[in-house]
Amino acid sequence: MTTVLHALGLTLTTFGVSFLLIAALGVWRLPDVLSRLHALTKADSAGLALIALGAACLTGRLNTLLTLGLCVVLVALSGVTIGHLIARAHLSEGDLE
Amino acid sequence: MSLAFDVLLAFGVVFTAAAALGTHDRVASIAGFVVTGLLVALSLVRLGAPDVALAEAAIGAGLTGALLLRSAWRLKPAESRVSPPIDRIIVALIAVCLSGALAWAVYTAPGAALYPALVSERLAESGVTNPVTAVLLNFRAWDTLLEIAVLFVALILVRIVAPAHPQPVVLGELMLPFARIVVPMCAFLAGHLLWQGASVPGGAFQAGAILAGGSLVLMLGGFAVPTPRLLSWGMMVALLGLAVFAVAALSTEALTGTLLLYPDGAAKIWILMIEALLTLSIAAMLCLLFCGMPRRPLK
Repeated sequence: MTTVLHALGLTLTTFGVSFLLIAALGVWRLPDVLSRLHALTKADSAGLALIALGAACLTGRLNTLLTLGLCVVLVALSGVTIGHLIARAHLSEGDLE
Repeated sequence: MSLAFDVLLAFGVVFTAAAALGTHDRVASIAGFVVTGLLVALSLVRLGAPDVALAEAAIGAGLTGALLLRSAWRLKPAESRVSPPIDRIIVALIAVCLSGALAWAVYTAPGAALYPALVSERLAESGVTNPVTAVLLNFRAWDTLLEIAVLFVALILVRIVAPAHPQPVVLGELMLPFARIVVPMCAFLAGHLLWQGASVPGGAFQAGAILAGGSLVLMLGGFAVPTPRLLSWGMMVALLGLAVFAVAALSTEALTGTLLLYPDGAAKIWILMIEALLTLSIAAMLCLLFCGMPRRPLK
């Protein structure tokens, strides 16, 4: 059971890290603000959720799931809101020009 | 494995700090500063100092970042000017000398290893079980009192300089659901940090910073307009912490004959009362540093 959990945890964490790497690649390579935001906001929420799930599997305790879940919810929430705010500021700057 | 992580972390701190200094865009520079602060907080966790890490993340990276962004908004756009090489060399020399002196001081100082044994020996008398809180609010409470006084001086300076109040702009429809979840969470988390500070990492400074963060969400989202009346109330709350701490110091002097030596067996309740009021007061001070003081109308 513990080996299964351990393997599952490692797999989930690896997937999560690759999501974050793709997000970083997107921010680095994509040409403009909106497409960078598109890459960043989705991939980092998904990546963090996967890493948190993997970490919970690795610790093997249920009560860590609560703390990690809170982290994921807060980061996802602020990611969404801040992405929205940056896109909004970018668009209103475009209107001024 | 953890060595690789630590080395990566150390390089990350230096790299983000260099990026923050190297860029000409002010906002990008502040972003670099905030990321450096978060990485420093992470390295403090690795060093086994979660109390300092919490304070660094909440105050060093979070609120200082907000204060810097607010000042960047007030200043004119930075001129892209390259300073002459001689200036850069002098600055680099001073920085190297300073780091060298710090490194020398850290490596030659013998005293630091003394404290843990001394603190754990007397921990039972302090009224709390978290050694950091025991030092901050009992053994060296005098230092904490002076720290609060320093914050108060910063507040007075802001009052004298009288910066313009930030103008809230409309931030769109996602702000309300965000605030509805984050602000109660901040209040809850601040209470939690304050309460658990007695036994595990946490305490008044961290709780106050998080409470201030929640209030800034309210203010910048346009849900709580900083009217002169509200700011005056904030000023009262900000002063309350220092006042209560000073009164507590004087009353312990009267009760036990020593400044900030709590009466036998009652240390926990004294510490809790002082910390609770300090949390509110620190939150109010940090908010006022961000949004400026109430102004008297010109005569």
